[in-house]
Amino acid sequence: MLNAEEYGLVNFRAGVNDGSILNTTTLSNGQPNTGMNKYTYMYDVAWNNGIPTLNNIIMPEFLDVAGTPVMRAGDTDWVKEISRTGLMQNYNVTVTSGTDKGRALFSVDYYGNNGTVKGTYFDRVTARINSDYKLINDRVTIGENLSLSKTRSSVISDRTLQEGAKNIQSIVPIHSLDGGWGGPASNMSDRQNPVRLIEDNKQNHEDVFRIFGDVNLTVDILKGLTFRSKFGIDYTGWWKRDMQKTYQSGFMSDKTARLNTYANYGGNWILSNTLQYKLDLGKSNFDILVGQEMLKYRLEDMSAGRDGFLLENEDYMYLSVGDGNLRNGGGATAYALSSFFGKINYSFDNKYLASVTVRRDGSSRFGANNRWGTFPAFSLGWRVSEEGFFEGAKNVVSDLKLRYGWGMTGNQEIDNYASYGLYQARYFTDPAFNRDQGTAYDITGAGQGELPSGFVRTQLQNPDLKWEATTQNNAGIDFGLFNQMFTGSVDYFFKKTNDILVKPPYIATIGFGGDRWVNGASMENSGFEFLLTFNKKIGEVELNISGNIASYRNKITKLPEDVINSYAGNGNDQTILGRPWKSLFGYVADGIFQNQEEVDAHVGQPGKGVGRIRYKNLNGDNVINDEDRTWLGVEDPDFLYGLNLSATWRNFDVSMFWNGQVGSHANVNSIKAFTDFYGFFGGQNYGARLLDAWSPANPNSTIPAVSANNVNDEGRFSTYFIENTSFLKLANFEIGYTLPKAWLQAARMQNARIYVSGQNLLTVKKGWGDNAFTGVDPETPDFAYPVPRAFTLGVNVSF
Amino acid sequence: MKTFKYMTLAAALLLPMAACDSFLDVNPQGVASTDDLNTVENIEKMVIAAYSALGNDNFSDGMHAYWPYGDLRAGDAYKGGAGTGDMGDFHLFETFVYLRDDNGYLDKKWYNEYVCIARTNDALSRINAMDATVFPLKTTREAEVRFLRAHFYFDLKILFKQMPWIDENDKTEDYINISNVEYTDKQLWDMIIAEFRFAAENLPEKQAEIGRINKSIAQAYLAKALLYAAYEQDEKNNVVNIDKTKLQEVVTLCQGLSGKYSLTSDFAENFLCETENGRESVFAVQFSTGDGTLYGRLDWGAMLNYPMNPEYGCCGFHSPSQNMVNAFQTDDNGLPLFDTYNNNDLKNAEDLLKYNIDPRLNHTVAIPGAPYKYNPEFIFEASWTRDPNTYGNFMSMKEVVLPDCPCFAFSLPFMSSSKNRDIIRYDDVLLWEAEALIELGRQNEALPIINSLRERAAKSTARLVDVQGDPTGKFKIATYQPGVNCPAWTQDFARKALRWERRLELSQEGSRFFDLVRWGIADKEVNSYFATEKTRRTYMGEAKFTKNKDEYFPIPKNQINFSKKLYKQNYGW
Repeated sequence: MLNAEEYGLVNFRAGVNDGSILNTTTLSNGQPNTGMNKYTYMYDVAWNNGIPTLNNIIMPEFLDVAGTPVMRAGDTDWVKEISRTGLMQNYNVTVTSGTDKGRALFSVDYYGNNGTVKGTYFDRVTARINSDYKLINDRVTIGENLSLSKTRSSVISDRTLQEGAKNIQSIVPIHSLDGGWGGPASNMSDRQNPVRLIEDNKQNHEDVFRIFGDVNLTVDILKGLTFRSKFGIDYTGWWKRDMQKTYQSGFMSDKTARLNTYANYGGNWILSNTLQYKLDLGKSNFDILVGQEMLKYRLEDMSAGRDGFLLENEDYMYLSVGDGNLRNGGGATAYALSSFFGKINYSFDNKYLASVTVRRDGSSRFGANNRWGTFPAFSLGWRVSEEGFFEGAKNVVSDLKLRYGWGMTGNQEIDNYASYGLYQARYFTDPAFNRDQGTAYDITGAGQGELPSGFVRTQLQNPDLKWEATTQNNAGIDFGLFNQMFTGSVDYFFKKTNDILVKPPYIATIGFGGDRWVNGASMENSGFEFLLTFNKKIGEVELNISGNIASYRNKITKLPEDVINSYAGNGNDQTILGRPWKSLFGYVADGIFQNQEEVDAHVGQPGKGVGRIRYKNLNGDNVINDEDRTWLGVEDPDFLYGLNLSATWRNFDVSMFWNGQVGSHANVNSIKAFTDFYGFFGGQNYGARLLDAWSPANPNSTIPAVSANNVNDEGRFSTYFIENTSFLKLANFEIGYTLPKAWLQAARMQNARIYVSGQNLLTVKKGWGDNAFTGVDPETPDFAYPVPRAFTLGVNVSF
Repeated sequence: MKTFKYMTLAAALLLPMAACDSFLDVNPQGVASTDDLNTVENIEKMVIAAYSALGNDNFSDGMHAYWPYGDLRAGDAYKGGAGTGDMGDFHLFETFVYLRDDNGYLDKKWYNEYVCIARTNDALSRINAMDATVFPLKTTREAEVRFLRAHFYFDLKILFKQMPWIDENDKTEDYINISNVEYTDKQLWDMIIAEFRFAAENLPEKQAEIGRINKSIAQAYLAKALLYAAYEQDEKNNVVNIDKTKLQEVVTLCQGLSGKYSLTSDFAENFLCETENGRESVFAVQFSTGDGTLYGRLDWGAMLNYPMNPEYGCCGFHSPSQNMVNAFQTDDNGLPLFDTYNNNDLKNAEDLLKYNIDPRLNHTVAIPGAPYKYNPEFIFEASWTRDPNTYGNFMSMKEVVLPDCPCFAFSLPFMSSSKNRDIIRYDDVLLWEAEALIELGRQNEALPIINSLRERAAKSTARLVDVQGDPTGKFKIATYQPGVNCPAWTQDFARKALRWERRLELSQEGSRFFDLVRWGIADKEVNSYFATEKTRRTYMGEAKFTKNKDEYFPIPKNQINFSKKLYKQNYGW
């Protein structure tokens, strides 16, 4: 390896002024620039008439922090270092017993999942004890269901690790020269070493203990009249002790050991009582149900922390032995629901079916005036195939049923205290990403110690807040053909939702805590689904094929002023009214500027230049600004479909499930910002696509030229970041073998089946044409955790 | 009989149904309603919450500190960091030409000023509603909160020129109808001045707590507002008239403060934890550590400005420009090299010993080879900087502290301290007095003021030594002696000297850009800075200050949209 001074190298920085050509600092007399770091990458670039050519890359031997070599330059495959083959295990033993007076079930279940990212895991043990007893001439049944579970899972977020592995450069080694941790060198961005994060978070876990169950009572009061009562509980306790150790990783460090402990407990009880009356009058059958249900939920939480610990291990780090910066907090939340309902099911001659339901629901989340909502529903069914006039057709159409239903339901999925104006005494909030929203201030000038503090508004009141109501119509046909060789259904639905609950963004002058839940827009949804199943026994093979296809459309039909900013659009003349909710709104990216003439020919676009994205001038004026945005498509797919094929032959069974969608789109800004751009985040790792970026020698590329900054604001939402997420997948393939009767009897088993299956085996994605998909898995586009390819081996045995 | 038993059993279990409506009354936990806060004790707490807004900050969330807006746009400092894309919005501020009206950072800055203003309005409406007989400190607290509100409006005024004026009498649902051009530029200044005047007239001389506003602080800020407002601008931001009456009041106010404040004996005392809240500090944001918050209430304005060496680690922002460093050079008489300073570049510790320099350079700028923050054993190296090829080798030192300082703290992975940040300091007050006197034609009275600052600077060399105790620079600074070491003290020359003195004394504290705009010379100064500096820094190739536009930021487009186009954009944008 030649010495830097001898070779006369150029120190490379992707410094850009106009965005297209990479600038380098030239040397004088072949001497290195005195300001540069000796140990960073060395690019040997030759300049020919202003066009740079890369001759050679000299890899440094060491990486430095502030001039001191601390790491040997590495070649780390970070994704590989943090990944492993995940392993999921599930074991279940269930024993049941019963007499004619009582039954009992006991089961123990262990589920363990070691995720595909190292250091992530989830373990759960569940015990279940269910029993019931018949009393008083079998007229009364008392039962209970109880399930206890204990969960332990890792704290480190897989998302943090995946982001970390993509961010940190591959030249950074895992460990430093002195055996410590590798990390960013001085000229790199401050990015964490994900292998260190896994190791330093090993001792952190969160534990949940959950008790879930109910006590129930059924009383056969009279013939056909049954009373049922159930009191259920669902409570959890959650605990997390988060220990952060000191570290040095490149130039990043924390010299204080910190402990944060969190706990909460709470849950809900639910009481429901129903009275059911079944009346059988020959051909007419009535089934009448009236009842009520009430639920109360409450959760109380607490957190505490201290910094500074003598020893950094889990045996030592507890709150009491922390040195200082004592902090704590805690609060609670609660809500209640109450419902009254009644239902009448009527069937005549098994041919005509009708059902009417009325619900009256109340929620504590709404203002005192609007707690209650009334939600009726009815449905009708007609088994045409049971009609007399249909006898003739029965050998072709073996089953035909028409259905129609109409109903209203309510939605109250908002914050528990959504209708109140809220002020909170808030000492501090975590200032990591936004400024502290607390109210403490060192008014005495002491510089330390307990500070006086006050209150901050967190929400504006809305006493008129009420239920969001959805009215739905569906119509369907169920049919069977050729003696149920084919069965299927066609369904159509039409839904209107009114008073959609949102918390819209607001004008800045209102300040913090201007959030206010309101009932706002109205929306229509409609769609159809078609399902067809084929069943036939051919010789010893029993074949079952079923496929379905569905499509839906969505439209915002009413858009009041005060919620206009909760939806896509510019809040003025371009709004989502009349468009689907998941519409995409932004700029149109219109290719790359190939040369200076094209740049000059284009209207005013701050940051434009050769090699940069050109944005389309949609309104004909002489500048590109946010008036040049338009509707770019919809996230929703045109169609969704699935195909299930299964067959059994003797003791073997095979099944395969394909599914897919056509015409869906996604905003992939979060991932494409890293694969296609350098200038959004300086000094870290980038995707391989960037190597194919535009340059005068590579003018057909659709990826803009590499630039150290982003003066052209190419992160703005545009067609560049919209990709077609249509796909076809082999989601599941399973082969099973049921042990023959002879073997079962010998082993005193009732049933035993062993199976092997694979999930997510094959994916076809749209990688060509407009909005081609450039990611890994269109089912989980952008930065969602990918669906892993999994292979399962299972055994079911019953005795 | 049995049936009856069953029915009673059933009925008994149905009793809870009667719970009905009161069951759904679930009170919010741990929160108060607005009515709960209208007691004297709680109103005092809401006043604290208003003060707290001064210190609530985050570099990515519309930073409070002035350096990104005041130093980067005036040629006093480069952005710094890992290349031009790091905190890219600051690069757009620094180069002017790529900045658009829909810039997200400016939207956050605008919003966060109104978060602060909303807290003051909330406290004020409660104070107003409270009876003075129950609340003896009513007028004092009212004055304090109106001062704070005026400070936040002052920030908006110098950044954006036209902003909506919301006070405590406006109802929240009406805010959307209040336009940013409801009041003219002149009226907005008069309203800000009126608030400071009220504060100055209604505050006590001293308060029980150092962090509270008192009469003198209000008088100082009143002087500042009057000074800015005296230079009247037209709608294109040209300075068209200077209001002498306002300047006279500036002089009177500043002279009145001479008994309350004084210059520290060593310039360094203004930038060290141990001497904060000293006799020269007029209005400072109080920070703290070990106070029960997650990392302490630290100065987020400095959070990015530490060097890359292991004792610190991140992030290398706020690099003084070569032009700035050169400006500290002096001639053999000890006076600034007004015309030739930029012909010679000071680069490292050897240069400091080779050429005459003003000692304030060593207090302000970290230079390779020289001690960092007065510690002779802690030598600043070029390798401590983040990206020297793009941003050079200097770093700003006023806002940082040494790693062993008790007020130093990490806020992973960044670091800062609880050292207070001065918004107004007495040297600044003296410079206003001098400026007003010069513009009134009374420049002879300004001469001793300017000289007092230079005398103090000359005496501030005790800490500027190496391990042997020898000075780390060839310090040569003298007072102006017209006819002896400098030309006659005409208004023009005095003005030149005053403006230069301001630049050196307040370097890296975010004041320069607003001074240039006030004087109406921003276009000339910034473009001539680019003309020479772009030969040193390649990223400045396209940078250009556009007259009648770049004096103010654009009103955030997002807010114009929210207001349904009620807000009007600034001239030129």
